Amino acid sequence: MDVIIQSVAAVFSPMAFLLIVVGTLFGMVCGSLPGVSTSMAIILCLPFTYSMDPIVAIVMMVSVYVGGACGGSISAILLKTPGTPEAVATIFDGYPMAQSGKVGEALGLAVTASSFGTIFSAFIMLVASPALAAAALTFQSAEYFGLGMIGLCCITSLGSKNQLKAVLSVLIGVMISTIGIDTINGVERFAFGEPALLNGINYISVMIGAFAIAEVFKNIEEFRHRDTSLRTEGKVSVKLMKFVEMAKMWATFIRGSIIGTIIGIIPAAGGSIASLIAYGYEARDKNASPKFGEGNPRGIVAPESANNACVGGAMVPTMVLGIPGSPVAAVIMAAFMIIGLIPGPLLLKNQPIMLNAVFLALIAAALLLFIAGRFVTSQFGHLLKLPYPLLGSLIVALGLVGAYSLKNSFYDVLIMFVFGVVGYFFDKFKYSNAAVILGLILGDLIENSLRKQIIIGDGSGIGFLTRPVSLIILVTAILTFMWPIIGNYLNKKKAKNEE
Amino acid sequence: MGIEIVFNILVGLGIVFYLANALRLPTTDKPADVLGAGGFPIILGILGLIVLAMITMRVLKEKSEIHIPMLELHSVDGRMLAINVILLAAYIGLIDVIGFILSTLIYLVACPLSIGYRKAGVLTIFSVVATTILVVVFGVFFFVPLPRGINFFREFSYMIY
Repeated sequence: MDVIIQSVAAVFSPMAFLLIVVGTLFGMVCGSLPGVSTSMAIILCLPFTYSMDPIVAIVMMVSVYVGGACGGSISAILLKTPGTPEAVATIFDGYPMAQSGKVGEALGLAVTASSFGTIFSAFIMLVASPALAAAALTFQSAEYFGLGMIGLCCITSLGSKNQLKAVLSVLIGVMISTIGIDTINGVERFAFGEPALLNGINYISVMIGAFAIAEVFKNIEEFRHRDTSLRTEGKVSVKLMKFVEMAKMWATFIRGSIIGTIIGIIPAAGGSIASLIAYGYEARDKNASPKFGEGNPRGIVAPESANNACVGGAMVPTMVLGIPGSPVAAVIMAAFMIIGLIPGPLLLKNQPIMLNAVFLALIAAALLLFIAGRFVTSQFGHLLKLPYPLLGSLIVALGLVGAYSLKNSFYDVLIMFVFGVVGYFFDKFKYSNAAVILGLILGDLIENSLRKQIIIGDGSGIGFLTRPVSLIILVTAILTFMWPIIGNYLNKKKAKNEE
Repeated sequence: MGIEIVFNILVGLGIVFYLANALRLPTTDKPADVLGAGGFPIILGILGLIVLAMITMRVLKEKSEIHIPMLELHSVDGRMLAINVILLAAYIGLIDVIGFILSTLIYLVACPLSIGYRKAGVLTIFSVVATTILVVVFGVFFFVPLPRGINFFREFSYMIY
């Protein structure tokens, strides 16, 4: 009981609470700007934390993490440019929904789902931290391979209009992911002696090109025939969902949050994978109205709840085991060490109020998302009042900054340009840009896990089948891939029988 | 249909190029790493060609027409789009020469003009304000090392960010 009282006192002291508010807002602003990642936002906060009490410092960084995870959806919905990599899946339905005049509703869904996901994962973190962290440690290459395959199998949902083209798109994405130095034996692959290609192709540049730049090209060609501006009547603001509307999608909220929490707990997975898997799972519903990809609210709720649920999930192995659950959690872990705390089993023993304090910070930041969301979206709303020729050129400039700032490299800007043109043609020929990104994100994980497991098995792949968790995951992946095909077959058979 | 077949041939050539390079990758010195550096890319390349062949057969069967304005330079939309692609290429090409500030300023004027936007006053204010905001927010506030250009432009940028 003493620990709980101390935690509440630490988190809700005026200074700590003020820092949670500032952290959430700052995280959201950074998350919404392409080129300023959540990790970078936390790094920018670091110098201010040196003189703070460790609990207050961590609480502030956690709130930046929560704000950043949600902020990416704002530019994804309004500009079709994901502010953070985790927001890529939010584009698929968020942007079409905004285009159909439901900007406020789309933003409201994103903020509500983010808040729900954060709170859900915070409770899981509080209740089951040690047990979950131990379970996550049993994950080896075979399980990671299965997880990657589940992600890839979502293509049957992402490319519902043309499955074959979606499969080829994902294969192209995986091919692109093989560019650079092979991490298993250090062989240079497809880099052709270019130093910039040795580290591979960054998927953020590809994403900015294939989504934002290609969309600008598409809008320019349509501009004379229809107003492609994202105009809304009045001020752009977050429109919160009514409880009844939320209750109708309760299963999507829960599913997204569960997927996000689990993937967050698995070391080094992260929000991008979680949001894509959560989206893919929901998008299997072919009878949804409106269809997925055309502005279905569930297409925003699933990735956003998963993405933010990753925050609480990622804090589990970070605090309990000293193994970061996501790339952003790795930065927070470094911050732990800078301020003199060693993450791991001893952390909770030496700092008994830490877990409760992080839990309370997650809850507070999740609730503050509604206020921060209103502020940030109203600022972005000014952009939408611009006529498309101005807005389009601004999106290009913003995309360029986003691509350049990844590694301060001109190559990333070139990649953005190339994939802008490629993305335009892919769109025209009904290939799936989303599937290319999916392949690019998961390609590394799949190849490395596959080869590592074969090496562990001394040249044999039997380990994929003898490890129970791996087998379950692989069967799930196959079912995820086959389900739409089986569903179509059963529907046709049913229709034939009815005739 | 013709244009899609050409597109598929280009994609096919790309995959063949990828596959040819994958086949040339050195074999592994670790006996347990049966796939080696080239194994996985070879699998991808072969699968890619099989799927592409299936897609092409379907295209030949369906014979649907696809309209690509970017390739129709005789139309206004096509020209507008082609000019914008060239403008973006020029923007990217110039950014490392004259720096972020000047190239962005020029692009933010040229791009709307090429799409047919003609309100000179609004365009001037927009390009100056947007460039200033981008430089201040990213270059000054978030310390993003924006491109600086060369010689004079480089020195000039150090005075601002």
